[in-house]
Amino acid sequence: MSDFGFHLAFWSLAAMTLGGASMIMISRNLIHAVIWLVMSMLGVAGLYLTLSADFIAVVQVLIYVGAISVLMLFAIMLTPRAERDNSQNMKTGGPAALVVILVMISTLWVAIDTDWGAVREAALTEQARLIGESLIKHYILPFEIGAVLLTAALVGAIALARQDDEDAAVHASSLQAELEGDASVDPVDVVDPPIPSDGEAGS
Amino acid sequence: MTDFAGLTSVLGSTLGAWYDFRDLNNLQRLITEWIADWGPDWLASIIAGVLGTLGILGVIGPTLLILIWVERKVIARFQQRYGPNRVGPKGLLQPVADAVKLILKEQLAPRAADKLIFFLPPVLIFVPGVLIWGVLPFGPRMSVADLNVGVLFLLAVSGTTVLVIFMAGWSSNNKYALFGAMRAVAMSISYEVPMVLALLTLVVFSGTMSINGIVEWQQQEDVIFILLFPLSAIAFFFAASAELNRTPADISEAESEIVAGYHTEYSGMRFGLFYAVELGNTLVVSAFIATFFLGGWWLWGLDQWVPSWIILLAKTGAVYFLLIWTRGTLPRLRVDQLMSFCWKALVPATLLFVVVAFVERTLLISEGWDTTVALPIMAVFNIALTLGAIMLFARVSRPAALRRPARIRMAGTEIGGLRAARQVASRTEEPQFQVGGD
Amino acid sequence: MIIGLEHYLVLGALLFCIGFFIALSKKNAIGVLIGVELMLNAVNLTLIAFSRFGSAEVALSTQVFVVFIIAVAAAEVAVGLALALVVYRNRQTISVDRTTLLKG
Repeated sequence: MSDFGFHLAFWSLAAMTLGGASMIMISRNLIHAVIWLVMSMLGVAGLYLTLSADFIAVVQVLIYVGAISVLMLFAIMLTPRAERDNSQNMKTGGPAALVVILVMISTLWVAIDTDWGAVREAALTEQARLIGESLIKHYILPFEIGAVLLTAALVGAIALARQDDEDAAVHASSLQAELEGDASVDPVDVVDPPIPSDGEAGS
Repeated sequence: MTDFAGLTSVLGSTLGAWYDFRDLNNLQRLITEWIADWGPDWLASIIAGVLGTLGILGVIGPTLLILIWVERKVIARFQQRYGPNRVGPKGLLQPVADAVKLILKEQLAPRAADKLIFFLPPVLIFVPGVLIWGVLPFGPRMSVADLNVGVLFLLAVSGTTVLVIFMAGWSSNNKYALFGAMRAVAMSISYEVPMVLALLTLVVFSGTMSINGIVEWQQQEDVIFILLFPLSAIAFFFAASAELNRTPADISEAESEIVAGYHTEYSGMRFGLFYAVELGNTLVVSAFIATFFLGGWWLWGLDQWVPSWIILLAKTGAVYFLLIWTRGTLPRLRVDQLMSFCWKALVPATLLFVVVAFVERTLLISEGWDTTVALPIMAVFNIALTLGAIMLFARVSRPAALRRPARIRMAGTEIGGLRAARQVASRTEEPQFQVGGD
Repeated sequence: MIIGLEHYLVLGALLFCIGFFIALSKKNAIGVLIGVELMLNAVNLTLIAFSRFGSAEVALSTQVFVVFIIAVAAAEVAVGLALALVVYRNRQTISVDRTTLLKG
């Protein structure tokens, strides 16, 4: 790729990634936050492409955009009356900012100050094949453990999120009571209230 | 002067071989090579990209307009109607009239909608719809990007559509739009699993993730994958038609239940864009089914004589007709039926065939079986296995009413619904009927 | 200016810090999970940058490492969201400030 194209790609993708991440930080609506997260993830996938890691880039899109964000949206939808609100905790916000600034200074110091040695010019080719082979040959044990971990997570998530029939009945009746007690609640509102006056992103 | 010579060489070679339209890539390569002679690198790559995109869009646009007419006409034939026949000869101008109507209509937005997210989806949904075309090989060297992770790219890009649909449904602030969106999301993440597994069979067996590589493998071994892995093909067909929200599985826009699903609140051309992308996705999915399972641009040597992309288009048309056929004849399924079909039938079946593919690949590679002998045997074995699996499924999933002797049903249960049925059931010792069986 | 390893490292560090701040300061449990995902992505970005620019021996192993991180992240999100659902079902809230049953 030519130098100009590479610069353009890097800076725009970096802006997309960091911009998306910052918008998560200031966005007060959780669903907006997930959508900004998707934007940030797509930026990271594009950065992988500029690093000529095509396999990882595609996997990133497949898993983060196609699966994890959808899972998050599902979880948000399944917690109906919980706050959609994604605001900061004012009490811990200050100390957190302090810690984060310290971490930022130290990591940036390490990143810029260290002499990382010679830069390799050639990128890896045929990555999918190489990664597959090394997963099967050198990293077979972690690979198997990863498979077990994923299965365990799957079973665990189902076992946790499963609702017994009695629980479901209790839950439904409490929701119903809540509904009937609050006559001002519009049915549409109960299903999902997007926070209209968000005041972000020029909406 | 090099410019001039380059131009004449482009003209000369294109004109000299103007009849050689088997591979449109020749033309594009000549143009980019000519630019590379005098221009910078990035100009050549940008022009190559623009040409490829324009080529794709130039194919999609008119094809979509024709397809609207074809689909309506064919479905009308299935349902013993005439279909559109007023505007233009045989109703051919009907899609144009529809498009003009949609463009002229007012575009409404609900007052309580989440404005930014509401306006984005009709535009965003185009992105995956067009990107997918980029990896479709129209010929041996005719694809915009022949990625070596093409299959994965296809899955990743088609997976992002879900998010756009969710954005559309949620931001409308409409109950039915949200229902439709959640149904679409649940369906497409469920049906992605058999889709991935069906493609995994091919990837395992052919040993490549490049889509063109899969076609070339079929060409080398003189076999099409639908013969080797018929069940994967069937599962992929079902899963794809579910992902496309077409009628046997169109619960996300079932008009008798939830108005129009996630695009209830979209009017005018915004709705038109959703509709166009849906049709375009149907077309591209038929093309991919043709590519993966029917050999793509290759057809037993016929591709030496006929342009490869015409072969692909013919196969695509055949698959598309099959999709219209299922849409025209099958009734709409319920949500739970679709889900249980996916998880209880398609996933185990495709998983079985992944294992079969592993074993057969090992036999071919490690044991060194002769492919000319082994492949027909494997094909016969796999077809028998497929028939067995389908018969097993038919036997297991036969409606309960057919399996057990008929009993007198109580009228009360039919009228009173579930609650009455439960009350009656709790009174008697043995329930005489089944409540809410599959 | 040639874009090299440092650019990606700085970008990764900034992304990590944003994710860290989100994870520390958000009230909503799902918001915290989003922050954790951002941090994992920052680490992945750094690793891929080393894979591209670093020495040839680490080129492959970093990518394999990233594959594992992505797999573990997927498992973590699945379990984390299931936990959020359970918490919601019992407490009718997923705010991490209000789930303080163990606070004496």
